[in-house]
Amino acid sequence: MRAVRIRFKKIENAKYISHLDLTRTMARAVRRAGIPLWYTEGFNRHPYITFASPLSLGFESLCESMDIRLVEDMPMDELVRRLNSVLPAGLEVIKAGEPVMKPKEIAFAAYRIAFQNSGFADFKENIREFLSRQSIEALKKTKKGDLKNVDLKPALKNAAVRVDDRSVVIEVVLPCGGKDTISPNLLCSAINDFLNEKSGTEQKLFCNIVRVNLLNGEGVPFK
Amino acid sequence: MSYRLEDLFRLVQKPGRYTGGEVNSVVKDKGKVNIRFAFCFPDLYEVGMSHLGMKILYGLYNREPDIWCERVFMPDTDMERLMRENGIKLFGIESREPIDRFDIIGFTLQYELSYTAVLNMLDLAGLPLYSRERDSSYPLVIAGGPCVSNPEPIADFFDLFVLGEGEDASLELFELYRKHKAGGYDKEEFLRDAARIEGVYVPSFYNVSYKDDGTIASITPKNGAPAKVRKRIVEDLDSAYYPDRFVVPFIDIVHDRAMSEVFRGCIRGCRFCQAGFIYRPVREKSPGVIDAQSRALCENTGYEEFSLSSLSTSDYSRIEELLEKLLGWAEERQTNISLPSLRVDGFSEELAARLNILRRSGLTFAPEAGTQRLRDAINKNLSEDEILKTAQKAFSAGWTSVKLYFMIGLPTETLEDVGGIADLSQKIVDCFYKNPDRPKGKGVNVSVSVACFVPKPFTPFQWEPQDTMTELEEKQRHLRDLIKTRKITLRCHDPATSSLEGVLARGDRRLCAILEEVFRRGGRRDAWSEHFSLQTWLDAMKDLGVDPGFYANRRRGYDEILPWDHLDYGVTKKYLIRENQLAHQSRTTPNCRISCSGCGAAVWGKGVCTE
Repeated sequence: MRAVRIRFKKIENAKYISHLDLTRTMARAVRRAGIPLWYTEGFNRHPYITFASPLSLGFESLCESMDIRLVEDMPMDELVRRLNSVLPAGLEVIKAGEPVMKPKEIAFAAYRIAFQNSGFADFKENIREFLSRQSIEALKKTKKGDLKNVDLKPALKNAAVRVDDRSVVIEVVLPCGGKDTISPNLLCSAINDFLNEKSGTEQKLFCNIVRVNLLNGEGVPFK
Repeated sequence: MSYRLEDLFRLVQKPGRYTGGEVNSVVKDKGKVNIRFAFCFPDLYEVGMSHLGMKILYGLYNREPDIWCERVFMPDTDMERLMRENGIKLFGIESREPIDRFDIIGFTLQYELSYTAVLNMLDLAGLPLYSRERDSSYPLVIAGGPCVSNPEPIADFFDLFVLGEGEDASLELFELYRKHKAGGYDKEEFLRDAARIEGVYVPSFYNVSYKDDGTIASITPKNGAPAKVRKRIVEDLDSAYYPDRFVVPFIDIVHDRAMSEVFRGCIRGCRFCQAGFIYRPVREKSPGVIDAQSRALCENTGYEEFSLSSLSTSDYSRIEELLEKLLGWAEERQTNISLPSLRVDGFSEELAARLNILRRSGLTFAPEAGTQRLRDAINKNLSEDEILKTAQKAFSAGWTSVKLYFMIGLPTETLEDVGGIADLSQKIVDCFYKNPDRPKGKGVNVSVSVACFVPKPFTPFQWEPQDTMTELEEKQRHLRDLIKTRKITLRCHDPATSSLEGVLARGDRRLCAILEEVFRRGGRRDAWSEHFSLQTWLDAMKDLGVDPGFYANRRRGYDEILPWDHLDYGVTKKYLIRENQLAHQSRTTPNCRISCSGCGAAVWGKGVCTE
């Protein structure tokens, strides 16, 4: 039996596949590809597939990771080729190989968040103003369902902000995995609220969120 | 500022219902196709995507290089609200383009209560509801499916219906459409030619007149349309088209598995069951063909489970031979075979064990009626002895729960028959405790589900009065009072939905106005219990002067012209009358394999009729 880590992109239309649905989608793709997958033993046998870090519905990602086990060895480039020939659009395997790190080691994720100007006045100026505040408070829902105040400012200190005519792009590294996880959605809704407050509207600010990398505690990319 | 369709995907629950892009979905170059077809299922994605007929026709139509068939489902309330607020019209999932620019819009009518959803979908597409309000510039709007056996309550909204199995008739329809489109499409001329295709019913070509008592005086064809429109069947299932791939959804749907069709029709002839009559004659597929089709489907979808689909799979004449073949590869490939509505007692113990029959599907019976007398009257050939013997076997094998399906409101039913439901359930409980091999330390649960009978066209009960809501409620109360133990769980269907189903199932064209009115008053999703409002219907009928009892609760005479009398499903009126009379004498009719009872389906000279 051989453990294989498959790294793949989840982009475009595939961002609407929820984590639970992705599990099923991948299991079926592996079957269609005729990859000799290991099944769990026992009463209810099911294909062994685990994902390193679940991705929220609506996010794109260039760095997803899933582990499977093979009952027969096969060349990794062939595995990649076969899977890519049966995956739906938006899911694309980049590489496959021996797992190096444990998924538990993931501590941070790098995101690229692009805000589209969907009609807010002074859109860019206001986002700049928001990001330059001393502290950026946001309400986070804990696992228990309570609301907790978190300050996003420390995480945003190292954020890179790019502004062009049509959009504002923020590149930011946020804690990921464990109870300190900060979802980029928190930042987006905080900015959305701020913009609405400024312009006295109740509009939805659309943003495109891409997870670009998974990192361990030392900032080394997940392998 | 309004949102684009793509923006809405971020705002709704389960965007996977609307985004498309699933494996095996068909995307064509719209510049290179001639006919754009919108296959509309008037229910949610999860329901529509579970429907086998849609999968067959989707594959069949898209096999034609110049046809692009797309899927369209009823959006959920959140999506509908956003679509209406942002001026986004109903769209095909594959292209995300509004369907009002398509050539043909085809609905499948599976259930009477979905009619308001049909109107809502036409409205969401931006089309006028009535056929007469749509000229040649609009798409042709057509329908098929079991409810087309009496499409009169929804007839004014459609340009034409296809009766029976749609495979051959729709391809002929497309061929005709190609010709007309090439020569400049004119709707009226097209319909005149279409009415000459066997199985095609153009409702506007029939004048219906009424007597003073409200019953039909005559149904008169015009424009050369046939006096009787006969349904179509696929004559040979082995050579008929069957898809080798299904669209594999991202989201969880109701039946998320591959499905292999093993036969069409049913030999049984249970008198309440419309499917048992309108799909005659029984035609089987060969085991080799089913085996090859199942295997291709599993390979092309990656599904880990497939089911053998039919109205009564244990009646398949070569079931053991088929299962041996299927298990040959399914076990090794970690693929489960699911066998819906299967008689447990028909198998060798070895085969039952390999199929895991008991573990997976549990134990389900559909006695439908509580006494042998009433089971004979409805021609349900299942004896108490058979049920108890099988239950006994299952309890010995470690089972502790049994599901039973019944109906109340059946013709000739008395309170004694209703009480029989409680008696039979109690006997199964007793059977558990009398069994020395029963699982130790566990109790038994008998779950009893009771539906309300709705008389349907083309059944021997098409003349029968349906019980009123009050009568049904009374019978439910009676039954509830008779069940004394908590080992029996009783679930009764809502009589309100059944009552409305009863009106629509045997209604005539005068109900089209009611449908429109209910839609105008907000009726959109009556097939979903949380959106169903009987009061809206009753108010609309009252305001428009229509008596629901006229359609549902009145005994009709054998000589009355029924709203569907100009449609021909093979089974003759003479046969249905005979069956109706036998029911009133509580006498059974043998199934098609034991002896032919001359229903009329032999006109096709196919399937079981030639065995």
